[in-house]
Parts: sequence; C-alpha cells; structure tokens
Amino acid sequence: MSMTSGDLITERRLTIPTGIPTGILFAIVGYFAGVWLGNLFGLFDDQNTGVILGYLFGTAAFLIGLGFLNYPLARVLGWPVDALGEAYESRGLGRYFRLSLDHKVIGIQYLVTILTMLFFGGVGAMMIRTALLSPDPTIVPPGQYVALIGLHSVMMIFITSAVIVGPFGNYLVPLMIGSRRMAFPRLEALSFWLVPPAAVILAAATFWGGFPTGWTGYPPLSEQASQGMDSYVVGFILIGLALVTSGVNMLATIITLRAPGMTWSRLPIFVWGIFCTSALGMLAAPVLAAALIMLGMDRTLNTPFYLASNGGSNYLWQNLFWFFGHPEVYIFILPAFGIVMEIIPHFARKPLWGYRIGVVGLFGVALLSWFVWQHHLFVSGIAPVLRPFYMLSTELISVPTGFIFLVALGTLWRARVWMTVPMLFCLGFLFNFVIGGISGVYLSDVPTDVTLHGSYFSMAHFHYTIMGGEIFAFAAAIYYWLPKMTGKMLNQTVGKIHFWWMFIAFNSTFFPLFIAGILDMPRRVSAYDPSLVFLNRWVSISAYFLFGSMILFAANIIYAWFFQPVRAVSNPWAARSLEWQLPTPVPAHNFERVPVILAGSYDYGMPNAKPVADLRGLVGATGGS
Amino acid sequence: MAAKAGRFEAAEAAARAVDLRVATVGMWLFLAANAFFFAAWYFAFFYLKAINNNNAWLIQGLTRPNRAYGTIVLVMALISIAAYALASRAAAVRTVGWRLPAVVALVVGLGACVFQGYEMWHLGFGLTQGSYPAVFAGLTASWLLEFVAAMFWLATIISQTRLGGDTVTRPASVVSFANALYFLGVVAVLNWIILYFLP
Amino acid sequence: MATRTANPSRPHVIRVLIPWIILTVAGWIAVSFIHFPFDLSVQGQDQARTLLIMTYLATPVFMGVVVMLVYSGIVFRRRPGEQLVDGLPVTGNTRIQATWIVVSLILVLSLAVLGITTLISSQAAQAIGAAGRAIGGEGETGAAIKETGSELQVQVIAQQWYFTYRFPDYGGVETTHLELPAGVPVEFHVTSLDIIHSWWAYQLGVKADANPGVDNQFHMTPRTTGSFTVRCAELCGIWHGEMADTTGQVVSQGDFNTWIAQQQSYFAEIQKALPSYGPYYFPAPLTKGS
Repeated sequence: MSMTSGDLITERRLTIPTGIPTGILFAIVGYFAGVWLGNLFGLFDDQNTGVILGYLFGTAAFLIGLGFLNYPLARVLGWPVDALGEAYESRGLGRYFRLSLDHKVIGIQYLVTILTMLFFGGVGAMMIRTALLSPDPTIVPPGQYVALIGLHSVMMIFITSAVIVGPFGNYLVPLMIGSRRMAFPRLEALSFWLVPPAAVILAAATFWGGFPTGWTGYPPLSEQASQGMDSYVVGFILIGLALVTSGVNMLATIITLRAPGMTWSRLPIFVWGIFCTSALGMLAAPVLAAALIMLGMDRTLNTPFYLASNGGSNYLWQNLFWFFGHPEVYIFILPAFGIVMEIIPHFARKPLWGYRIGVVGLFGVALLSWFVWQHHLFVSGIAPVLRPFYMLSTELISVPTGFIFLVALGTLWRARVWMTVPMLFCLGFLFNFVIGGISGVYLSDVPTDVTLHGSYFSMAHFHYTIMGGEIFAFAAAIYYWLPKMTGKMLNQTVGKIHFWWMFIAFNSTFFPLFIAGILDMPRRVSAYDPSLVFLNRWVSISAYFLFGSMILFAANIIYAWFFQPVRAVSNPWAARSLEWQLPTPVPAHNFERVPVILAGSYDYGMPNAKPVADLRGLVGATGGS
Repeated sequence: MAAKAGRFEAAEAAARAVDLRVATVGMWLFLAANAFFFAAWYFAFFYLKAINNNNAWLIQGLTRPNRAYGTIVLVMALISIAAYALASRAAAVRTVGWRLPAVVALVVGLGACVFQGYEMWHLGFGLTQGSYPAVFAGLTASWLLEFVAAMFWLATIISQTRLGGDTVTRPASVVSFANALYFLGVVAVLNWIILYFLP
Repeated sequence: MATRTANPSRPHVIRVLIPWIILTVAGWIAVSFIHFPFDLSVQGQDQARTLLIMTYLATPVFMGVVVMLVYSGIVFRRRPGEQLVDGLPVTGNTRIQATWIVVSLILVLSLAVLGITTLISSQAAQAIGAAGRAIGGEGETGAAIKETGSELQVQVIAQQWYFTYRFPDYGGVETTHLELPAGVPVEFHVTSLDIIHSWWAYQLGVKADANPGVDNQFHMTPRTTGSFTVRCAELCGIWHGEMADTTGQVVSQGDFNTWIAQQQSYFAEIQKALPSYGPYYFPAPLTKGS
C-alpha cells in the first residue's frame, strides 16, 4: 500500500504549519468570531448565542489549526492524499504534542490529559469538602459552592467517560488483538483532541460564575442559569462526539482487524470490556447530543422544549438525559470490569475461571442498562405504573454484575497469587464494588428509594462504584501496563503504601456518607443540619488523606516515568497475553508481521500449552495491515 | 520474479478487502449511532405532542409549515440519492462512467439543501410559539446539517476520481458512502411524514 | 493442599464457610440494632422495614465476598522467595456457575417481589380507601384532582427557595409551615412555580419532585404525633442548601383544627390576592441570565 501511494504524492500540500500553537491561535480568533456573529444575529440580548457559537467556532478552529482539515480539504480539492501509515513514522518527543495517528501516541496523550484533568477535578473535591467543614456556608459562599459542585461533577464525568478507554483502550486494543493499526485513526485522534477543548470550555464557565445544575443539568434551572451553562452544553456535546468517534473506531477495529487465530472466544476479556463500553457510548451519546441541542436552542432561540408553560416538558430532558445517563455509568464501569478480569488471571497464574460467563456478564450489564433509566425518576412523578418494571430491571442488573465477581473469585480460588500492586488494586476494586453494588440495590427498590433518592446515600453509592471501582481499576491498569507503555516500572513498595493509604482513606471518606444520607442530608447542599457536623468533618479530613494518597500516586508515576533511569524488561510480569510478547518500546507498527494467534491468553498451568502467538506471522497475511 | 509480483498483488487485493470491510462495518456502526440521534428527536416529537402542556403543542391559528416546500425538498433529496445509487452500482462494475450520475446527485442534493434553507428562513411562525415549531426547527435543521455534510463527502468522492485520487486507489469509501445516503433518505421520508402530516 | 482426598478443595471450603457464618451472624446482630428514624408515618415505617430486610439479605453477600477475598489473598498467596509457578488449570465449573446464577436470581427476584408487593399492597389499600399506602403519585399532567374526600388534601408549592402549603379543604388557605393531624391519611399534591424542587419530609418518609405544570401526588398517613423536617432534595440554585424547614409537626386532630383556623385568619388578607386553587400554576416564561 505504501508503495503505490508513495509514488503519487506530489508537492501540492498545505503549507500552513499545523500544531498546538496554531490551534490555540486559531481557537482565539474563532472564539471571538463566534461571539461577534452570535451577537450580530442572536435573537436575544443575553449573549448565550454568542458564547455558544464562540465555543463551537473556537473548537472547530482549534481542530483546523491542529491539522484536522488538511485531509478532507485535500480530498475535496482532488489532491492526492497520504495513505494511512505514512503519518506516524516520526519517533521524536514532538509527536506527543501534535496531531498523531499512532494509537500508541494517542494513548499516551490521553493518559497525560486525563491525569491532569483528574488533578483539577480532585482539587474541586477538596474545595467542596473544605466548604463542608462548616454546617453553614461560611467558608465558601453558596453561589460558589454550587458552581464548584457543577465543575467537579462535570469534570469528573468527562474524565471517567474516557479514563480507561482513552489511555488503555487506545494503546492496548490493537496490541491485544494483534493488529498493526486502528480502523479509523483520524476518528481516534479526533476523539482525543475533542477532550482538551471540552475541558477548557468547561473551565471557562468560571468566568461566568459557573453553572448551578450539577452534572444532570435539569431544566428549567439550566435555562434560568447564566452564560456559564453554555459551557455545559458545548462541553458535553464535544464529549458526546468523542464517545461516538471513539466507539465507532474501537468497535470497527475489534470486529475487522483481529489477527488470524484471534477468534471471538480467544479475545482478551479486557477487549470485551472495551467492546461493550464502546457500543454503549456510541449509541447513548447521540441521545444526549440531541437533548443538549434542544437545551441550546432553548437558551438561544427561546424555543420551549423544556418549558411547561409554552408546551414543553422538563420530563423530556429527564427521559433523554437518563436514557443516555444510565448507560453512561456502565460506560464507566465495564472497562473496569474488563481490567479486573484481565489482570487477576495473570497474577493468580490460573486460567480465567468462567471466561464465557464473564463475557455474558459484560453483555448482560450492557444490554440491561438500556432498560433501567427511569429508576432515576422514581419520585419525579412520571409513569407510576412503570415503576415495578424499572425496579425489576434495575435489580436484575445485579445478576450479570454478580458474574464478574464469580469469575474473579473463581480465578482466585486455589491460585498461586502473586500479590503485586495491580493485584492489590483489583482486590480493592472487588471490595469497594461489592459495597457500591449492594447500595445500588437499596436505591433500586422504590419504597426505600423514596427516602434515599437525592440524598448523600446515592452520592456515596456512585462514588463507591466510580471512584472505588473505576479509579481503583485505573490505578491497577497504570501499575500493570505502564512498564509496557513507558518502559519504566513503577516502584512497587511505594505502590503498596499507595494502595493501603488510598484504600483506607477512600473507605473512611465515603462510607460515612451512606450514614449521612440515611440521616437526612440531601446532595449538593452548602448548608446542612448541625447534628451532622462530626460526620462531615470526619469525611473532610479523610478526603484530605485520600487526596494525599493521589499525590503519592502522581509522584510515583512522575518519578518512574521521567526520572528513574532503569528501564523495565519487556515482560516484567511473565504474562502470557499478546501485548507482553512485544518489545518495549513497542515498534511503530506494533507487529513486524501480523501475528498468528495459537492459544488463549490465560492458559496458565495447562499441560503442553502453546505460546500465545507466532510473531513471525503468516506470509502474505494482511489482517491488520 | 513473477511469483513475487503475484504475491504482491494478492497482498494488495487482501488489503483492499480489509479496507472495504473496515469502511462498511464502520459506516454501519456510525449509522446505528445516528439512528439513536434521530430517535431522540422522534421521541421528543411524540412525547411533547402527547403531553401538550398548557395546550401549547400547536397553538390555535398557527401558520402550518408549507407542505409543498417540504415535498419539493424531499423529492430533490430522493432524486439525489437515487442518482448516487445508480453511480455506486456503476462503480461496482467499472471505475469510469459513474461520474455523471454522481455529479447529478451532488447538484440536485445541493439544490435540496438550498431550498430547505430557504424554507427555514420563511417559516411563517416563530420558534417560541409552542413546542411543535421547536421540534420542527430542530429536527429539520439536524437533517439539513447532516445532508450538507454528506454533500461535502460526495464532492470529495467526485474530486478524488482523477488520477491518483484515493477514490481510485481505495474504492471502499465510495461503496460504504451509499449507505449513509440511503439512511438520510429514510430519515427525510420519516421527517416529511411526521412533521407535515402528524402534528 | 496436603490432604489428597477425593476433593482437595474441601478443607478450603470448610475454612471459608466457618468465618463466613460467624461474620454473617455477627453482622445480623449488628444490623438488629439499627433504627431508621423515618418511621413517623405508615409509609416511612414500610420503608424502614424494607431497608432493614435488605440489609439482612445483603450481610451474607458482603461477608461472603470479603471472606473469599481475604482468604484467597492470604492462603493462596505466593510466599516471598517462592518460585513463580502456575496454579490449577481449571477453566470453569458448570455446576458452581449454575448454582451461582440460580441463587443470585432468587435473591434478586425475592427483593423485587418484596418491593413490588409493598407497592401493590399499598395500591390495593388505596382502592378501598384504607390508610396504608406507600407511594402512589400520578404526575399525569392535566389530570384533575381526584374526589376522594376521605383524605386530607395538601398542596405543596415549591418555589425558589421555600415551600408553601395550600389546603383546598379549608378554603384554599396558603401557609408557610406545615402541621398535619395524626392518623389521618393525607394526599399531597406537589407542584412548583419555577424550576424543579423535591419535597422531602424526612421523618414522614415522603419525597416527591415538584415540577412546574405537574401535580405529583403522594399518599401518606402519619402514625403518631411528632415533629418533622422538610428539605429540598433536588438542586435548585444557590440557596438549595438553605431550603429547609424544621418546624413541621404532626399533632392531634383538635390541635390541627385550632392551627388551621389560626392560619386562615392570619393569612386572610393575603389570600384575597392569591390565584384560585388549581392542580398546578403555570409559571410565566423565564427570563434568562438572571
């Protein structure tokens, strides 16, 4: 392929230097152009049109400045275009700072971006907990407190939508399925480069005093809100677009580019997790996009989609939002399930116990997640006759979730557990997630949900599943795969300290919040009953310790990555799976030839087990070229 | 020597087969996502119509959107799509001779876009006057945006037919693009029925 | 490991079962001391009981996972200095998997049956006009208020940032605090004048969202006299946290009659300016940027 197109490339090229500086310059110009246009044609004098157009134009201009327009422009002008694969030959450090089509570069870009955003989201959490040291809004004024809630929650939702699929999905899926590339590298790059603008736009809400709605953005409050709300609208649309592009790319890659011999029943379970989560993200995000477009129209053109007096209904938003929103929370957790089931067999030195039931569990959760969204609306006043159905479907989700536990515990049974840091985090995940899951059942029951709904109980519940679940799995993945991605091994002793510190601080932070919820503390309040002061101060101080453990984590990563001179061996865990058979650093096209998969990744202890793959490949095989 | 060249050609053919599969599967996935997008709009239509809050779904005496305009846009879009269907069928058997119907598809399609834009500019009712005008504007504009994007794509396909263009070297995108147009055609018909006949 | 009996798993199973049973029983004893304070009404009592049953059911599940994790982490651990060897090449066990599926299905379905019967029995009770109802609520927009007669009608009107209450049975008087007679079934009609709020009367076990243009109904019967707290449970702008009222009272029928008469005379002047009683009140279209 490179031969044919290489001959035909002429010197007619765009000569604008593309990159981040150009992108930022373009973005500034685009923003002001959008504001000008919006104020010129905007129907109302509240600037929402200008701000929304400014964000949209700014993002588009940023992407153009990065070089995303070069390819479609060259195509529409009839110029010859590069075949894929030409683009990522550069191996210098600079490739991390420009538009790259190499999935490994994109994985690292995602990882650094996500960790940076995680830091800011965490600082937001610390400010919230500081405000709650006092039962009255004296430390942080209530307006700023509500803005903090909005920024922390939406920032964290942005992060957790991509925290595993972004870095690890992009980096590892081609390596794990034996492919030399992704199906749609440009879409993949787009899915990454939409995230930084979304984060910046979200942060820009602070210039307008933030937005008061939390991450749910319920109208009419979100229509009453100031221009900060426009950040929510545009930022979330961009993240939705990222979910769609990333989902299409991941699914197409997994479906079409598996190496010969990588049958569906040999697919690593982590790839199955990515598969399910991509399907959910790809299908759910467009619904959110439609809802956000309606909200944007309400805010700029004064349409009444969500205004009861003019024929709209706020239930329309609640239905559309949660139809997206409930699959969204499984978008968070499915790749974490994948990570836990992937890592445990490698350290238990046993085959994955019940591989098929694990896959069924992932698919069962993914499928059922479409039929549960109204459990967020049990007290909202709609459709009382449907409540038993949604209660049943929600409780049924705990059955496939239980399969994940069955697989994990079955794999651990009579194993030879190598207690490494990734393994510790997987066990921590299981502990936290069983609490998160059981508390979810409490919330799914209509009578008990009447009291628990909208209280700190539900807040503690989803922090147990997302922070205690997904972020613990994320930490496990970092300790496990960073040696492959960066060539540096994280310090295991510091890692063990980090695990125990984080585990204890996490539980000490969030478990008391269940009690706060049961004792009449609603979510998102800047003031609370003085009788809960002790509980809240306990939680705040634990939260500081939790933040401290994250600082240790960051220090461990930064030291290992940038300062530690010793390079990791290519397979420090003696793992069987395909990605560990590659040299470190992974070569530009991953595999010199498309490998032939000979055996499953988890065949530990099998007599006469074959090596997982023949890396010399089939002559002439092009499955992933 | 000959054997080596033959092996190279076989590898090229296999690579093209993979390209086609990737493009086709990718397009199906994208259309599935897109179907959910339009489904959300249809849900909004029927939900707000059923609730009819404050009797303001369709305010009494409101000017209805002009059915003739809607029908003209629909017919033009369908002609464009049919022309591309001819083009892609021709492209499947030979690589030249499909350009004319493709150009026809582009011209008629752009005409549909312009005319739809004209209709949007002359609605005869304000967007604040109830929830039907809101859904009408949002749904039509969403379809229009996607159709404009599809026309851009069509233009790239046509302009890449000259020597060395990637339409020639990689026909996968030409074939898979037909599905995108068929999808937008189905949406156009649904929109026409729902927006002009069911409010 | 040393024992080479027919099933080498057996000693492990026993060593897991014993702490599991002990911890479960200990957990149950601890759970039996829990008292949920939201039991001032029949419905709140239902909720508290359901919550307790769920906690009893959850205890063995939680303890089981914890015991398995700790046991595997300690007993099956590779000791320091030991060579890295592979474990048993077992890829699954159909019988255990089937058992797991059946047990978890039974657990879940029994929970669902428990929840649904709580709902249905209360709906059946509603049909015969009896007191014990958990949560009804028909937020059917446009539905007129039902002529039940036997229940005290209370309309809860939410607005940024306080709740007011209207009593259609008492001339539509609108009060700023709430008192209820003990033992009398109440039908709440929760609505909003601006944005979404949620009316949470904690001790009564009532929570219902207040939506503009919607009449969200909730049935509740207070058991005895006592005080209750009202909070907003849906984020509604900057003073959401302060949208609380701790003065709610459940009083005797006589005290209630006195109180409502006082309110009627106190708010008589204001009432002349109020719109006539309706299931909901459409707010004026919002202005943005406020």
